[in-house]
Amino acid sequence: MSLFARRRVAVPLLTAALASAALALAACSPPGSNNTPSGNENGPIKIALVDAQSGQLSSLGAWELKGARLAVNEWNKAGGVNGRQIQLDVFDDQGDPTTGTNVARKIVSEGYIAMLGTAESAVTIAMAPILRDAKIPNITSGQSPGLVAVGSPFLFLNGPTSTTYDATLAKYLVETKGLKNIAMITNNGAYGKGEHDAFLKALSARNVTPVADQVVTADQKDFSAVLTGIRQKNPEVIFLGAEEVESGLIVKQARSLGITAPFAGGAPMGTPVFADTAGLANIEGSIVSSPYLSNDVSEASRKFAAAYKAAYGEDAELHGAKAYDGAQILLTALKNSNIATGQALADAIRAVKHEGLLGNFSYDNTGVGISATAIGEIENGKLVAATS
Amino acid sequence: MQVTIQTFIGGMSLGAIYALVAMGFSLVYRTMGLVNFAHGNVVMVGAYLASTFFLSTRLPFALAMVVAIGATGVVGVVIERALRPLENKDFDLMLIGTIGFGIVLEALAIIIWGATGHAVPSPVPVPPLDILGVRVRTYDLMVLGIAAAATAALMLFLQRTKRGAAMQAVAMDHEAATAVGIHVGRSNAIAFVIGAALAALAGGLVGPMLYVNPSMGGSLGIKGFAGAVLGGFGSIPGAIIGGLVIGVLDSFAAGHFQGYSELVLFVVFTVIIMIRPTGIFGEKTVNRA
Repeated sequence: MSLFARRRVAVPLLTAALASAALALAACSPPGSNNTPSGNENGPIKIALVDAQSGQLSSLGAWELKGARLAVNEWNKAGGVNGRQIQLDVFDDQGDPTTGTNVARKIVSEGYIAMLGTAESAVTIAMAPILRDAKIPNITSGQSPGLVAVGSPFLFLNGPTSTTYDATLAKYLVETKGLKNIAMITNNGAYGKGEHDAFLKALSARNVTPVADQVVTADQKDFSAVLTGIRQKNPEVIFLGAEEVESGLIVKQARSLGITAPFAGGAPMGTPVFADTAGLANIEGSIVSSPYLSNDVSEASRKFAAAYKAAYGEDAELHGAKAYDGAQILLTALKNSNIATGQALADAIRAVKHEGLLGNFSYDNTGVGISATAIGEIENGKLVAATS
Repeated sequence: MQVTIQTFIGGMSLGAIYALVAMGFSLVYRTMGLVNFAHGNVVMVGAYLASTFFLSTRLPFALAMVVAIGATGVVGVVIERALRPLENKDFDLMLIGTIGFGIVLEALAIIIWGATGHAVPSPVPVPPLDILGVRVRTYDLMVLGIAAAATAALMLFLQRTKRGAAMQAVAMDHEAATAVGIHVGRSNAIAFVIGAALAALAGGLVGPMLYVNPSMGGSLGIKGFAGAVLGGFGSIPGAIIGGLVIGVLDSFAAGHFQGYSELVLFVVFTVIIMIRPTGIFGEKTVNRA
């Protein structure tokens, strides 16, 4: 009797446990992972793409994947690299550094010759030592100055660092617009901390002290206290250093509290997620520092945006463009070096001069290939180049 | 002064959400003695269902909420059915089972709706009220009103109906309740369904305030749980007070301690619980865990 009952008990629970285990596994392991190294042979070239495919930062991960895959598909359709197809396998880091280091070991043991991603600087920094030891070049979409501080010869950025974003922004606000009464809200995550330090440094270089310097947590939902405090200071502009959703929530709540000053910030404020979260009417007049203001800046970006739209049915944005540039640089380096690996591939990446969507890439020893952003303003819900 | 009042109001509106989440935790706990760790994820499912009906089928918000509450109630039934064989047999496995369900729900949401999430426009596009410089969002007032109504309805159900009284009896002593002919399994199922419905109500209401994505259940679940414990785990009035206190504390901590607000919030929480382990409205009747 009791034995019978016990068995019946186990079935639904086991099903639930198995289902969750299977789903968890499906989320972590790459499709078709095997252990064949792809150094010098005729199989496909194995490249790992590591990005958050679940969790809070998954929007970033989804955009990155779309951009990188677009580039890889274009190369594969044109015959691959020197006759070999490119195999792009996706790993989920969940936006978490610990998961990232596990993924890094997996990439090393499964014989990937290069890695694209991640979009989160903290994860990339955690992975960097393992990849450096294994001599696997990594083109990241992170932008924290901390990436440069790692000093790995195998780590490259596919865009400018926060220092560039914020120096350009501070110069525009203080020198072009003549604004001195500036408030700051940043979060205490890796991105927000980088933005806080970079923007504050850029301001103090121009002898401006912010009227308010508020730090929020990355998971905060209610900003009444912070925003009411800032409202009393009556700033001319408010700098935001937080990810897409949090930036959107801050702007939405600020408007409902009667704050009318425009917001200024970096890449997150140019994204559709930010616009949706805040509401289109609330972001009018926002000032954004970005290396990729819109899909209409050049012939190449129009072509990229059309291909992106055809492939995924949505409009391209900065992160997809960055990942596309990064993948192009990696594939060009592979072609130029006749599919080298390790140190030779890293040297080949450093030697690539690429005319990309973000501008002209030319890598130096720090791993930064581009150091300019443009200033845009949101007009009628669209980000356009600033006129003044 | 203005900052203090504004902070209080901001905390109250999220606190009402935490209170609804806490009520769901407490109701299932008082009836079954079980902490439903999937509860935060059920909130997320409710938020997705409500916002999906609201956005894609263009149902009026109230109707979308009703449909979402019903559909999420079904999720509650499924969880309870799957766990029922473990009732009164292996409590630890049951706890782990709810954790497993939480993971499954999050993964299902990623499969169905994608990992990115979506924003929900406010269903009451009225500008905020301005009372002597303090701004009160009309939507927040609506949330507080609905939370109060839901609490009143739940209290009436538990105290004035036969079914509610039966659930109270199961909460006090499930063996004695069985002896007098109360169907314990059905009682538990009702607790799970009402718990899931409260989760859907919280999720649907929080959608337009925040951003709906598969991982939103995490922090709402933890703060709701903290609210339930603070109020006295298993007590319905305690859940309301606890949820509101957590919301307001969180809001003030954010203003005073900035980046360390989360730390301060939970240190304060821990100290209160150490001084008064039964919470504000600790009940002696619930003693099954």
